[in-house]
Amino acid sequence: MKEKTSRSIWEKITDNSAASVVIISTVVLALVTGLAAGPSQVINSIVTGGMWALLAVGLALVFGVMNVPHFAHGESFMVGAYVAYFVFSPIHQSLQESPNALLAAIAPFLAMLVAGVAGLILGVILERLLFYPLRVRTKSGWVMNAFLLTVGISFIMTNGTTLTLGPNFRGIPRYWDVEPLEFLGVRVAVDRVVAFFVAIASIVALWFFLRRTRTGRAIRAVSQDETGAQMMGINLNFIYPLTFALATALAAISGASLLFMFQAYPTVGLKPLYFAWYVVMMAGLGNVVGAIVGGFIVAVLQTATQQFVGIAWEDVIPTAVMIIVLLVVPSGIFGSEVKGVQEQ
Amino acid sequence: MNAEQKPNAGTWGMITAGLKKIGFSPVGLVLLGIVAILPLIPPFNQEHMIRWLIMGAFLAAQAAAFDFTSGYISVVNFGFAAVLGLGAYTSAILANKSPVLMVQPGISPWIGIWIGAILAGLVGLGLGWLTLRLRGIFAAVMAWFVGIALMGLVRNLTDLTRGPLGMNPETLFDTAANLPYYYVILAMMLVVYVALRLVTRSNFGLAFKAIGQNIEAARASGINPTKYRVINFALSCMFAGWLGGFYAHYFGSLTPQTLMHTSKTVEVLALAYIGGRGSLWGGMFVAFPFVFLIEFLRSNLTELPGLHLVLYGLLMVLVMIFYPNGVAGLYAWVVNKVKSSRSKGE
Repeated sequence: MKEKTSRSIWEKITDNSAASVVIISTVVLALVTGLAAGPSQVINSIVTGGMWALLAVGLALVFGVMNVPHFAHGESFMVGAYVAYFVFSPIHQSLQESPNALLAAIAPFLAMLVAGVAGLILGVILERLLFYPLRVRTKSGWVMNAFLLTVGISFIMTNGTTLTLGPNFRGIPRYWDVEPLEFLGVRVAVDRVVAFFVAIASIVALWFFLRRTRTGRAIRAVSQDETGAQMMGINLNFIYPLTFALATALAAISGASLLFMFQAYPTVGLKPLYFAWYVVMMAGLGNVVGAIVGGFIVAVLQTATQQFVGIAWEDVIPTAVMIIVLLVVPSGIFGSEVKGVQEQ
Repeated sequence: MNAEQKPNAGTWGMITAGLKKIGFSPVGLVLLGIVAILPLIPPFNQEHMIRWLIMGAFLAAQAAAFDFTSGYISVVNFGFAAVLGLGAYTSAILANKSPVLMVQPGISPWIGIWIGAILAGLVGLGLGWLTLRLRGIFAAVMAWFVGIALMGLVRNLTDLTRGPLGMNPETLFDTAANLPYYYVILAMMLVVYVALRLVTRSNFGLAFKAIGQNIEAARASGINPTKYRVINFALSCMFAGWLGGFYAHYFGSLTPQTLMHTSKTVEVLALAYIGGRGSLWGGMFVAFPFVFLIEFLRSNLTELPGLHLVLYGLLMVLVMIFYPNGVAGLYAWVVNKVKSSRSKGE
């Protein structure tokens, strides 16, 4: 996101041997999977990639701007799933009694919207309540302290949810009661298609916000140089809560749009968290553009693992790959140029 | 326990000096004595109370081993629970006699625990080597990924471990009583603490602290970070595996989820941080009252599941934000206050 690195992503890829190796092998892997299992697996990877990208973008944004390695991102996902459930199921109930085609079509979007707003509010509360006091008090080792703080937040939020809502699974079979779409001879559920487009639309909206609006530019300025941004009159006490709220809202939206796949329960956020972390560690901590590409790479890896090794290995094999990536290029294949990464 | 003591003459002075070498102040020794005789005194002599004490000692030893890495070389070993589970599973598989599983070596748990510890130590050696080039958050995430991979392995190698169904390893004693186990784990806790204390009191401890504070400065002073980081990881993980072996042969039931999950690491991390980073004894001191508080809440507030864990997390977050030195820092502060008021009085 830095101006001095605003060369196109293509130049960065061609300049960078690690990135080219990973991208070429991903494309080959996707082709092999596609040939072995048919186009359904390729579509599966693309849809999964969209949601991992959406989650990872939030993670990268929080790290890039605030230097917070966010471990409680999965809990934002969980909150989104719960909010969507509690908004959608009453509407669904009432629709059973008095059918209304328009409401049935927009109710899921309403659920996602409310989840997003809930994410915004939650993000602001968390930032003001926890990160602000920590920032005021921390003198050194901010990255590690912030990381452990998010670990604590994650612990409290999962167990707090168990305490208040119980360990029950709350899910829905599908958002829209319509026939699956036909695409390349593959039947894809409407919910999946919509989830993918919601992810893409959210990423594009974020992109425009960061590039084209004054506030978005201020966020990018802070990620480049905090002191310089402050001297230009940017109020950090506005930018930090905003950034954190945006990231939380993105995670909440993805939790809401995937409610048909991930039922809402207290530890639902764990798997999305794992995969979002694989993406950002591979792409480079804090690299927002890299996170989008990385989301699809990890999804291909995951689909290929499911196809060739077995579904039980879907976190072991990607983890092993990430360990190798971390060993060879610790700052990720697209590079991490965020301040403070090398801080002890 | 780190209080500076005036070198006073006589037997008392010699005893305290000797104790100090292995990391005990008189106060610490008294606390240890209380903990040792606690299960003989009513109301603590009930079986469920002794179980709580065992959990306390088990967590206390883990907290010390965890703090040895996070508090000294400032690398948070996020795969700690997974390494502990590795030791537990190794020992359990070696002791296995049931034909359900692929191998039935039937080695006595008393020997298997040590083999598990050695294997965990070797994994720690590898983990230390893997995280060598990485700092802070990258090292933590690397250890976390290794932990996830280890847990996935244990879950998937169903021929050896029965996967998520879990194993039922042999127990150490042929008795249902908990008391013998308590003294075993108490002794293990002491060994972990004294061994780690001896290491940190030596030049190694200085080198660890130097690396933890500023790796470049340490290198410039002639300390080889590679060597010390690998040694630190290996020792910490070896003790983790050893304690895991005890867990396996005490509870007699093992599943990946209850032992190797990241949330187990977080529990130990919370204890070590509340106790005070870089003190070794802080987490141990906190562990016993903590287990009692938590188990008390769990058994008395059954309609509120998870409340004890919420409190756990809240306390950790509050300590991290408002009092990062933890209990050990509080103790040092009190000791300093007492000293300065005393010197003013003279």
